[in-house]
Amino acid sequence: MENLKEELKKQIIEQLNLEDITPADIKNDAPLFGDGLGLDSIDALELIVLLEKFHGVKITNPEDGRKIFSSIDSMAEYITKAKA
Amino acid sequence: MNHLSSYCHISTKEIVTDKGALLFDNTEGLEVNDFLKTVYKKLAIDYPKFYKMDSLSKAAFLGVELLKKENAALAEYADDEIALLFANSNASEDTDKKFVNSYAEEHAPSPSLFVYTLPSILMGELAIRNKWYGESLFVILQKFDAAFFADYCNMILLRNAKACICGWIEITEGKTEAFIFLAEKNGNENNTPLTKQTIEKIYKTIMKQSRPSKV
Repeated sequence: MENLKEELKKQIIEQLNLEDITPADIKNDAPLFGDGLGLDSIDALELIVLLEKFHGVKITNPEDGRKIFSSIDSMAEYITKAKA
Repeated sequence: MNHLSSYCHISTKEIVTDKGALLFDNTEGLEVNDFLKTVYKKLAIDYPKFYKMDSLSKAAFLGVELLKKENAALAEYADDEIALLFANSNASEDTDKKFVNSYAEEHAPSPSLFVYTLPSILMGELAIRNKWYGESLFVILQKFDAAFFADYCNMILLRNAKACICGWIEITEGKTEAFIFLAEKNGNENNTPLTKQTIEKIYKTIMKQSRPSKV
């Protein structure tokens, strides 16, 4: 699970062009939106594409997005469960 | 008479201003996006969203930041007194191709690229960054047209706007060119008048002096 979280951080930084941020700057339980990384609605769409492109996981119910993308922890948990 | 207060020109090779100063020289031969990011860092601007913009918006953003540095009076205008007037001949072609590539080859259409598949988005970026809510217009022309800028800009300045930022901005594969200038209402005899002739003269001089921007 820890490897997956580190992988996710690197993918988010690259896909979302967060050039001034390193994986070490992203805490596993910190919010990705709002006060956290300050991501916006377009970034949310990029995260959906990222999950499918790199992890083969689709979000079938958009309503779940808010919970899934609340932190690195929640993203990793969702991927792990989806692949189980 | 309205006047042209200052301008800057961005190519892949360099950035120069109306003062004739060479502000940035791309001696390393960086690709346009990397060159623009290097300039952004050197200007020590804190606006992380810059990195997410396409090259067209990045160039417009930096050009306007440079004009703001040279023209402190811009900050004195009300938010609806600054208009934006931009044009080019290739719309958002560079980003369009990247977007097509994102789903044709990578099988994953990029939402953040899709946002920039309209050239006018660059004016939205400028409006958001500077909280400018004046008139805005982006036009596709066959080639640079000094008469277009003179006529439309003077018309815009007849209305509510007291200043207008104009730009001819082209970024295509192998070619980068952004000529961005500030026009203001009611100058004096010492200012450069905002006419087709003066705009054309400045543009031709820049093009003559500018080193080839092909990389």
